Amino acid sequence: MKARTVRLWSVVHTWTSLISTVFLLLLCLTGLPLIFHHEIDELLGYAPQPEAHAGAARATTQAVADAALAADPGRVLQYISWDKDEPGIVTAFTNSAVDGLPDNTTVRAFDAGSTKLLGPVGIGPMLVVLKLHTDMFAGQPGKLFLGGMGLLFAVAIVSGVVLYWPFTRRQRFATIRDHASRRVVWLDWHNLIGVVTVAWALVVGLTGVVNTWAELMLNQWKATELASMVAPYAGKPPPSHLASLDDVVARARQTAPGMEVAFIAFPGTPFTSSHHFAAFMRGDTALTARLLKPVLLDGETGEVADSRALPVYLQALLISQPLHFGDYGGMPLKVIWAVLDTLTIVVIGSGLYLWLARRRKRAPARSAAFASRTPVPS
Amino acid sequence: MHGSSDRSRLWMRVFAAPVLLAVATITGLLAALLWGTVGQYVAWVSVGAPVLVIVWVWVRCRTQKSGQFSRATRGK
Repeated sequence: MKARTVRLWSVVHTWTSLISTVFLLLLCLTGLPLIFHHEIDELLGYAPQPEAHAGAARATTQAVADAALAADPGRVLQYISWDKDEPGIVTAFTNSAVDGLPDNTTVRAFDAGSTKLLGPVGIGPMLVVLKLHTDMFAGQPGKLFLGGMGLLFAVAIVSGVVLYWPFTRRQRFATIRDHASRRVVWLDWHNLIGVVTVAWALVVGLTGVVNTWAELMLNQWKATELASMVAPYAGKPPPSHLASLDDVVARARQTAPGMEVAFIAFPGTPFTSSHHFAAFMRGDTALTARLLKPVLLDGETGEVADSRALPVYLQALLISQPLHFGDYGGMPLKVIWAVLDTLTIVVIGSGLYLWLARRRKRAPARSAAFASRTPVPS
Repeated sequence: MHGSSDRSRLWMRVFAAPVLLAVATITGLLAALLWGTVGQYVAWVSVGAPVLVIVWVWVRCRTQKSGQFSRATRGK
């Protein structure tokens, strides 16, 4: 590699890293507790616990909906969801209107057997950490900005891999020159940690970027696929009365055999049309549990209107989520995720240190060169 | 001819371990998603491999340092 090429890549690596450093540190630091958000919520008492009733029959979906509306009088239901890892709990989302602002949504957990209110969901300190991590309390612009920082991070990683060659080709793999200056030792650690975690960092970084586009992708799906699915119902008013949720669930299961309902979106919510329920179905394997299939049902009669697989970009979004969160391989994978996150913090921190140390080293050299210049007589 | 083969040998020496670790990481990330419980075990080992390398290098540095220190004190 020519010296000029190395210099160019070095400029790319330095500036893409420097511009994104503060935000990447924020993302890594907030991401660390988020890996264990479930455990932290449980520890702090913010995770609702189902009642102990082994083998008891599950309440009907309509009974859960009635309990949710009774718990939040004067408001409307937006979604009801079932978490496959928490079979004893059903979660209900209420808001002042079906298309109300997401920040006005109240999320409550109900016992899947008795429909007893178990408590609010998604509150407490982890909500603050989550908001900082996803949009820095700046809504969609904040999300897109962090997505941009994620893209810079990806460029910094790729340029770092390119620079790995000229910096390490004279050494054996994993050489740490302990006898050299502190700057050289940190350069070796920076190179080593960076290169061994490169695949993980790229996957987590890029899936994070994809997640920041979730709302845009959903809008695209609504404008194209969903619009064509509900085209035969164009001009129909919102339902004057809603079909029984038990009928909705039963018909959705018949339409997607072997699948379970992950969540139901009520007519008028962002996930469906103004006239339809949307039941999002999931499979039972690790992969198919992530790939949801929507079934649209008439809001008044509960009859199935249409069902199609999600487009590739939404499937990519759904698959990118576990790859970003690291919550799909049990506690050991979560611990590994946390260690890799910490190592990324070390890479970012050491990169910043190396840049500062190089500037400090250059400054006296520059001033010495300036001082040694012979004054030009005027 | 020599230059080219030397260069590729050098390239292998520099990038073989990082490429292997990257392949292991990607395999592990997908294994947990595609192969259920068995995939989880694969993921723990292969996604954890970079962490093991760092731990190994750190321990190696520590033992080398303490070895040098004890040799130096014995020399005195």
